[in-house]
Amino acid sequence: MELTALALLVLGVVLAEPASRALATARWPARDPVGALLVWQAIGLAGGLSLLGAGLVYAVAPLGDSPAPAFATLADAVVAGRLPPEVRTAHVLALVATVLLGMRLFVVLASVTIRTLKARRRHRDLLDVLATPWPDAPGTRVLDHPLPVAYCLPGRSSRLVVSAGVLEVLEPDEVRAVLAHEQAHLRERHDLVVLPFVAWGATAPFVRGMVCAQLAVAALIEMRADDVAAARAEPHELVGALRAVGGSAPAAALSSFTTALHARIGRISAPPEPLAAPLRLLVRAVAVALVAVPTAVLLLPG
Amino acid sequence: MDVLWAASTPLTAREVQDGLGSRELATTTVLTVLGRLERKALVTRTRDGRAHHYRPVASREDHVAELMRDALDGAPDRGAVLARFLGSIPPDERAALRDLLG
Repeated sequence: MELTALALLVLGVVLAEPASRALATARWPARDPVGALLVWQAIGLAGGLSLLGAGLVYAVAPLGDSPAPAFATLADAVVAGRLPPEVRTAHVLALVATVLLGMRLFVVLASVTIRTLKARRRHRDLLDVLATPWPDAPGTRVLDHPLPVAYCLPGRSSRLVVSAGVLEVLEPDEVRAVLAHEQAHLRERHDLVVLPFVAWGATAPFVRGMVCAQLAVAALIEMRADDVAAARAEPHELVGALRAVGGSAPAAALSSFTTALHARIGRISAPPEPLAAPLRLLVRAVAVALVAVPTAVLLLPG
Repeated sequence: MDVLWAASTPLTAREVQDGLGSRELATTTVLTVLGRLERKALVTRTRDGRAHHYRPVASREDHVAELMRDALDGAPDRGAVLARFLGSIPPDERAALRDLLG
């Protein structure tokens, strides 16, 4: 059981650091954004399961040969108000640390969610008073401001917004390409896709791998939305929209912004070869296996 | 809201109703809407004798600026609040962007 705990700990640390960094710098995700997003979700889930599981398994190690019955033994003893004599201080410390980490993760996730919902509601209230419907596309609102910006407000009561600046610099077809991009975000609930990584990033901002993960996932949902928009509109309309909005956006003065913009334009104008079908299948299998391994270790009799 | 923004002084529900120029709206309807706007922190109410006066919390331009700040702030964790056409900006360059926005 101590070996199982060690294996889970190693798996958790490898997923949180080297694996996250490697995936964040890999080239293949641009060729299969959906597969890469699945692997990221699996890394987040499996990493959390492994780290928390390692502490729990170590804590109950003296009580049996497989985790699940040993948990039950410890839980029964604690409910009865006593601690089994085999459980030493180190085990209790591991248990406390694990419970604290788990609680922190939960509290951060809950507070990020509440803050997000509040900010969204405020934004939506203001939009409904300030923005006017755009007659050319139902469900789209126009915000009267000269800076070009297009975005969507996710959630059950979602909103699509373009600023007057966007209508100024874009042709109607290009606006439709932008809207197709934003609708992909809304339809596929990309806000929920990024949420776990926002929570991980806020729980452990000192772990560089977590920050890499957050940025990589943010870039991947944009690629995915570009793919959807390019399939619905003409790719050149999307490129024109990116050039026009990107060139006049206030962030255009930032070199990292223009680098990322050129990378995106390059990817739409000359799409990289999608991953071959067997490789796509392999990517999805890896994602499933990543979650299955720590789950099996924790639940199956050893 | 437009009536309140156009007025230079706080208005009563009755004055808002007059400002809307529509006799078909009942005063109670206007009051309901004003109450909702108050809950959403868009108007404040002050009591002057028996009458309640309403005035906007901020100008239309201030609110539009607030929305634009929300929309342009490059923090990646804002991705959960809204998804912007041009993605997010690394945390170390957010301050630079904020300076650009003024």
